[in-house]
Amino acid sequence: MSLGPVLEAENLSVAYAGNTALSLTQFAIGECELVGVVGANGAGKSTLVNSLLGWSRGSPRISGTVRLSGREISNMPTHERVRAGLLLVPEGKLVFGRMTVQENLTGLGNVPSGEGRRIYSVNEIYALFPHLAERRHHLGSQLSGGERQMLGIARALRFGPRVLLLDEPSIGLAPRLVATVLRTVRSLADAGLSVLLVEQNVRAAIEVVDRLILLERGRAVAEGPAATMRDDPRIAEAYLGAQAG
Amino acid sequence: MNLSQQFINGLVLGHAYALIAIGWTVLLGVARLVNFAHGQMYMLSAFVAWYVVSRLALPYLIAFPAAMLMGIAVGYVMQRVLLQLTLKQDLVSIMIVTLGFGYVLQGAAALMFGSTGQIFETPLSRQEIYLGNIWFTYQDIAIVIATVVFFAALRYTINRTRIGRLTRMVAEDPHLAQLAGINVRQVYLGVFAFEGAAVALAAALVAPRTPILTSMGFEELIVTFVVVVLGGIGSVLGSYVAGLALGFFTAFFGALVTPAYTTAAAFAVLIAVLVFRPSGLGASTEGR
Repeated sequence: MSLGPVLEAENLSVAYAGNTALSLTQFAIGECELVGVVGANGAGKSTLVNSLLGWSRGSPRISGTVRLSGREISNMPTHERVRAGLLLVPEGKLVFGRMTVQENLTGLGNVPSGEGRRIYSVNEIYALFPHLAERRHHLGSQLSGGERQMLGIARALRFGPRVLLLDEPSIGLAPRLVATVLRTVRSLADAGLSVLLVEQNVRAAIEVVDRLILLERGRAVAEGPAATMRDDPRIAEAYLGAQAG
Repeated sequence: MNLSQQFINGLVLGHAYALIAIGWTVLLGVARLVNFAHGQMYMLSAFVAWYVVSRLALPYLIAFPAAMLMGIAVGYVMQRVLLQLTLKQDLVSIMIVTLGFGYVLQGAAALMFGSTGQIFETPLSRQEIYLGNIWFTYQDIAIVIATVVFFAALRYTINRTRIGRLTRMVAEDPHLAQLAGINVRQVYLGVFAFEGAAVALAAALVAPRTPILTSMGFEELIVTFVVVVLGGIGSVLGSYVAGLALGFFTAFFGALVTPAYTTAAAFAVLIAVLVFRPSGLGASTEGR
């Protein structure tokens, strides 16, 4: 596809209390592309997706330029970036536990109607995730880990994302559920959504992504199409358990 | 001993307490914030309402929007000042800043309105009703009706409307709320403005029952504090029940024991409740 990147970042740098957690000179996601970011704990994966939104539960110093569909968003507060179409499903607490599934999907900020943005209605969401439809009157806190991931993704889809950022969707899930969640992500990408998938589970991620970026200590140390990266020794040995030699 | 009269007193007083406290209940429930200027905001609103009726000789109905506009303005300004502390959830600083703000309001009110007590008479408070051996005024009826309507409307808004959902999201997790596209600052400002409006409404209705003084804020704050904590922090239904309970307690304790120690006794009950039921009265009947 020859379209320009839908999301790009330049000289993105994040520091916590003076310690640099992330430093990327160039980073981009193309239209309809599913990009995986992998790396060990503390490599800066979450820091990357959070900083694209200017969001954090801590108080980092973020610098650099972020553009969404060619428009600079680095100076916007988080909720405006969300409305502009950059959606994050964070790691850890990602649904409102004291609200029902239905409320999680309807009590949103202003959902914008944008050019070429695919905003899912609540009914479309339920068609896509029949499981959530069954549990629409349950509280977020009553959902299983897999259901929470689905609800997190579903809530993002309600905004018509230009880019969907997923932070460790497989964490804490049984292997079968991991496959289900990642298959859902793949089918969303196939339907035209651009996705950035942060994963520690490299083995599962490499099966679905188009392109893989390996982060180490806040820097991108390797990058390439999934098929090529599978054979990269840094990936194969450290993350896929291949025998050396 | 006229028990039915004490029942009426307790009923009216209870509704008054609940109405005075509701702004703080929402503030605490939604924003996890405290406002120790709440009592002085009540006082200031009461004086604004009194000024409109007694000095400007305008209709009582005009006193409501006037007092509420004042309440909204004070709440808004205060939250603008506090916004950074709010986003950091720095409760201790917020406590001290609001306490200070309250005394600034008290000083300002004393400058404007003098420090002598005033009687805030309204067309409703002048109309008395005698039924057998009990007595009350139209003002009392207005307080009870307004409180019930206000609480019902508030519960509906919180549970059933979009704005209610947004505020509940911010209450549960302000960080996650940002990722749901919610302008969290705006919600905080709105909640503070609501608190100002609610306490002003309470002042315009309740203040005519007793003489008003620019130094009365602290007393109102204490009442609010008891109601909010007793009701289960942030629970709307709980604070209604707690307001009523405190009203009846005050009326009957005052009549049967002595009015001198009512506040002390109320706090003794509060301590007992907190020891035996730490989450308050409303906590188990309602999730929030």
